[in-house]
Amino acid sequence: MNMDEQRLVGRIQAGDEAAFAEIVRIYKDKIVNYLYQVMGDYQKAVDLSQETFLRVYFKADKYKPIAPFSSWIYAIASNLAKTELKKRRRMNLVSLDEIQPGPDTSTPSGESMDSGLINNLRQALEEISPRYRIPVVLKDMEGYSQEEIAQIIKRPVGTVKARISRGRNLLKKQLEKATQANPSFQKREILDGRC
Amino acid sequence: MDDASLLKRLGRVTAPPDFERRVMAHLARRRAELPQTKRAQAFRYSLAGAAAVFLVCFLALNIFVLRNGPLQTAGRNAAGIQSAREFIPITEAVDYRKEIQNASLEPRTVFILEQISNASNRYINY
Repeated sequence: MNMDEQRLVGRIQAGDEAAFAEIVRIYKDKIVNYLYQVMGDYQKAVDLSQETFLRVYFKADKYKPIAPFSSWIYAIASNLAKTELKKRRRMNLVSLDEIQPGPDTSTPSGESMDSGLINNLRQALEEISPRYRIPVVLKDMEGYSQEEIAQIIKRPVGTVKARISRGRNLLKKQLEKATQANPSFQKREILDGRC
Repeated sequence: MDDASLLKRLGRVTAPPDFERRVMAHLARRRAELPQTKRAQAFRYSLAGAAAVFLVCFLALNIFVLRNGPLQTAGRNAAGIQSAREFIPITEAVDYRKEIQNASLEPRTVFILEQISNASNRYINY
């Protein structure tokens, strides 16, 4: 458990805005990226990230140091994302045309990604239910362990394992579908010898 | 293709450059709005509470006071009322005017009307 973060949370509980600003600085990129992967909409991810941090500030007294602070902040972000996705589904607003690409879509190594691959992956990720999407993103993109994900989504480790496995299978199926619908990526992949 | 490495290829995004400033501005605004929000919330809760109390009083009045009122029966004393309660009361609404008009086409029927209740003359209690 990160003692510095624990200390910062203690200061936030006392109403220290400088400590809050420090937490924002540490977590802003992680939370924005996580919400972007879950929502598929950069602007919405930024808005929800702001709301996440505001909740951290106003609900800081509810945080108990039995779990890492990062799990708590990811739990807040996950709950906000789930609520937003439910709202979207109710309002039937889910549309791939509305998805705005993030400002930086390059890989960590700086290698430029094929836009066909990005689109197909995004489309596949969008198609699977948030119930599976969130654990898969937390595991495969954010690098959390199954135990940490269990703390974040407040489910038993067995459930998390099952959801990750099922989520990956669903993602694979959806990716195959997306690739069939948009085969340009597949052809280019084969030509580039990436597969 | 490995699923985990596949997703890692999606690439990461970063927060916009003015993100911290925006969060701090939101925080200041939210803190200023907090007393108003709390007052509005207290008002909403008190309004809901008052409505709930009114509803409970209304239901209690209907169930315990109005339903259990004395049975109004003409020409019966308290003992008679007690014995009347052993029977199942049947109340039937009758439109006398229609009854008499319909009856004019049929063989004569003699209606003997006796007022047995002070409550209303539109009902007959058997």
